[in-house]
Amino acid sequence: MTAATLPGFPRPIVRRRELGLLLAVAAALALGNLSLGLTRAGSLTVVDPAGLLIYLGALVAVHLALVTAGRRVDEVLLPTVGLLGGIGLLLAERLPQDLVVQRVGSTVLGLASLQLVWLILALVIAAVVAITVRSDRWLRLYKYTWAAAGLGLLALTFVLGTDVNGTRLTLDFGPVSGQPSELLKVILVVFFAAYLAENRVLLADARVRVVGRLTVPPAPYLLPAGLMLALALGIVVIQKDLGAALLFYAVFLCLFYLATGSKVDVALGIGLFLVGFVLLALVFPHVRDRVATWLDPWSDPLGTGFQTIQALHAFARGGLLGTGLGAGLPTIGGQLPIPAVHTDFPLAALGEELGMAGVLAILGCYLVVVARGLRIAAAAADDVRALLCAGLALVIGVQAAIIAAGNLKLIPLTGITLPFISYGGSSLLVNGLIVGLLLAFSDRGPLPPREPRRARRPAGGPG
Amino acid sequence: MTLQGPGRGHERPLGGRVARLSLVLALVYCGLTLGAGYWQVYRADDLSHDPTDAGMIAAARSVVRGRILDRDGHVLATSRLDAAGEPYRVYADASLSAPIGYASRLYGSAGLEAAYASELLGTGGDDPASRALAKFRPRTGRGDDLQTSLSLSLQKLAVSLLGSDRGAVVALDPRTGDVLAMASTPTYDASGIANPATSRAAFAAARNDPGQPLLDRAIQGRYVPGSVFKIVTAIAGLSSGAITPATTFPQQPAAETTGLLVDGYRVRDGHHLFTGSEVLDFTRATEVSCNIWYALAGLRTGGAGMDEAARRLGFGAPLPFDLPTAASQLTNSGGPLPGGFADDVELANAAYGQGEVLVTPLQMALVAATVANGGVEPQPRLVTAFVSPSGAVRDVAGGTLGRVLSQGDAGAITTAMVQAVEGADGQRFTTGAQVPGVTVAGKTGTAQLGGSGEPHSWFIGFAPAEAPTIAIAVIVEQGGHGGSRAAPLAGQMIAAFLAAKP
Repeated sequence: MTAATLPGFPRPIVRRRELGLLLAVAAALALGNLSLGLTRAGSLTVVDPAGLLIYLGALVAVHLALVTAGRRVDEVLLPTVGLLGGIGLLLAERLPQDLVVQRVGSTVLGLASLQLVWLILALVIAAVVAITVRSDRWLRLYKYTWAAAGLGLLALTFVLGTDVNGTRLTLDFGPVSGQPSELLKVILVVFFAAYLAENRVLLADARVRVVGRLTVPPAPYLLPAGLMLALALGIVVIQKDLGAALLFYAVFLCLFYLATGSKVDVALGIGLFLVGFVLLALVFPHVRDRVATWLDPWSDPLGTGFQTIQALHAFARGGLLGTGLGAGLPTIGGQLPIPAVHTDFPLAALGEELGMAGVLAILGCYLVVVARGLRIAAAAADDVRALLCAGLALVIGVQAAIIAAGNLKLIPLTGITLPFISYGGSSLLVNGLIVGLLLAFSDRGPLPPREPRRARRPAGGPG
Repeated sequence: MTLQGPGRGHERPLGGRVARLSLVLALVYCGLTLGAGYWQVYRADDLSHDPTDAGMIAAARSVVRGRILDRDGHVLATSRLDAAGEPYRVYADASLSAPIGYASRLYGSAGLEAAYASELLGTGGDDPASRALAKFRPRTGRGDDLQTSLSLSLQKLAVSLLGSDRGAVVALDPRTGDVLAMASTPTYDASGIANPATSRAAFAAARNDPGQPLLDRAIQGRYVPGSVFKIVTAIAGLSSGAITPATTFPQQPAAETTGLLVDGYRVRDGHHLFTGSEVLDFTRATEVSCNIWYALAGLRTGGAGMDEAARRLGFGAPLPFDLPTAASQLTNSGGPLPGGFADDVELANAAYGQGEVLVTPLQMALVAATVANGGVEPQPRLVTAFVSPSGAVRDVAGGTLGRVLSQGDAGAITTAMVQAVEGADGQRFTTGAQVPGVTVAGKTGTAQLGGSGEPHSWFIGFAPAEAPTIAIAVIVEQGGHGGSRAAPLAGQMIAAFLAAKP
């Protein structure tokens, strides 16, 4: 600390890289907006200029807040996530506004307005968390408390929740409803990170022989994590939220590998998953149906296979370069071809209008988010924080991969959201929280004191 | 700030594992990329042109198909809106059913409506460049107009002349291949099939009609050609050098009364009443349609020469055309002799259009057009341009199918065909093809089908012989001798076309 920086009055730090990337994002989104307007009106038109400006303004505001706060946090995450959110907003502008309608007082908000509201709130959460969170003690010290709270919330949904599309995922709070399983994924990452960091040496070294040279960690050390995982999986499976179950399990395996480095355990874990999946398919008819639809959607093209087939046709119509924003998704009798396109199939919609090029760009953005997250993890000061950051980044990357693979019929379809793009309040808010935490934990500390002749400070963290 | 935190008991840094995990995740995303590539590139055409594709369904229901126009600007096909505001097709005349086809919400489409669906619906060309360009153009909700080479009046005339007979007429410009008329009878009620209110009844009526109106005889019908095929034999013989216009066969006059014996089979003729013991050369043999002379010419040319010339004319494969065509054949191509002939009897018979020869009317119109065009076969076409809703015209380039025979040989055949129509003896066989003030070149055919039924009546020809502007092929199923139905029909078509020309 130099004399110039008083506590509470940090020295602002110029974030050139972030600003430059944000400008590029703004240009891309403005172009997308113009393209949509051109398709709609036949002339150069901006669609809902207020919405676009508010969103870009919010991104810049977060940037300025980070500058003012003077924290040396990651400069790539915000623009990347901002681009994904902006693409989601463009899609929301493009889809029929009555897909989601919410009455607030006397005003009726449609899809795009609601998505904008959620995006702004998510950005606020990200900014507040990024600026105020300095320590992870509050997370790591109370891991069992957090876990209990998360499970309680989930159980509450199970008891009090409302059914949407036959699955009970939603909890109503007055006019607002939320899906607690979204929050649970953060809580699980916190718990696993704290737990695995604490026990990593024991899990890796204190092995129990099973057969031959095959060894596993001793049961007592596995028990808390296993129990937590089983509870979380059990509840979401009963709730038919198979995507969340797959996400939890995949992130747990990733973290387990990062903590212990044991490939054998991960392989065992994958084997266990496959066995469990087969058992699930035997027990639950809805799991069986999901798999049958995945294997051959064309066996029931107008029933269970309809959504999947329509999504594949949308990808096909898009081809390499897409139809252009607003020019795809032909309506038949006023109906969009893909049911639940704004929550479950945004990638198919974007794949049609932006083409394979757009799909690759979006997937690339998720990889950037993961890469930044893992980079922050690799640079973290201790194990808990490293695992925490890796887990948070993986939640985004794995979730995006699961829903993208489901959309592309590479794995059975699950009803989880495409992070930052799908419509959905709880999903956006929780993803905002994740971005905030990643930013906060990427802090490289205050600027070193000014020196008379200083070499350029190294870019990024130590690799 | 360092990887190795103070007091870390475990010596392996997280860093190495992070890198390995990143690699796994990158591979997963590579898998996603491959998945996207599979659906968006490899299966893109297959899925997006499927009739069940939402885009195809939506376009058919919302986009107003472009119009189809004839050469004089008459509207052949246009769209109207039904009570629900969805467009349906209306066609100018029933005579157009064969080339234009229909577009129906229930029964899909046929003819030009099917062949040019993406242009008519404005879903554009399939090449990446035009797809990319389409993104920067506003959607019009209206497809391109098709400019065709058809003449509505000539088309109507052809169908009315065919009357209640089954048959086909193909008339085209020998210089360009532009199809002027392409009639197939019986016709069907394409407007009825397209109209949602009458669709089912009209389609059932067409499908259950024993006359098979849904079959486009002009391009899908395969007929025994009879003597019109002698022009193909002449092309084969002259271009291979096996015969010249002066070629005579000494055994021919004697054989006229007894029949020409080929491997125990007798080729017979019906013209010796007029020619007696005259030794016929190429022109005279064509004028009186001498089967014996042509059988001998075919035998001298040989199976390989016949096959080679037929292939140059387009036999053996569908013709390159706007609509799907059936392939014409010289033989069943199973025989041991060159060209697939079973024996010399088949070859001798094929030389005057019997044997196993089967031809489409379009193919025979092209044979006439090739002779008319000085030996170069024009590529037939119906659509000459696309006109976008904004008025931009995109011309379709014409082409040729290449030179089939020399200009001199074509001239010799023209002379013979003129003689067949205008010559004193030719007129006995080719009644009615003459047009006052115009020299017509032509050849009749009377295709024996075996059994007791009437033969098919054929005519191919062109006019004016000096500078042809129309080539024509006419077949009237079981219409009797070529001179009784087909030749007069062709004469009226030619007269009407030349009279209408400025």
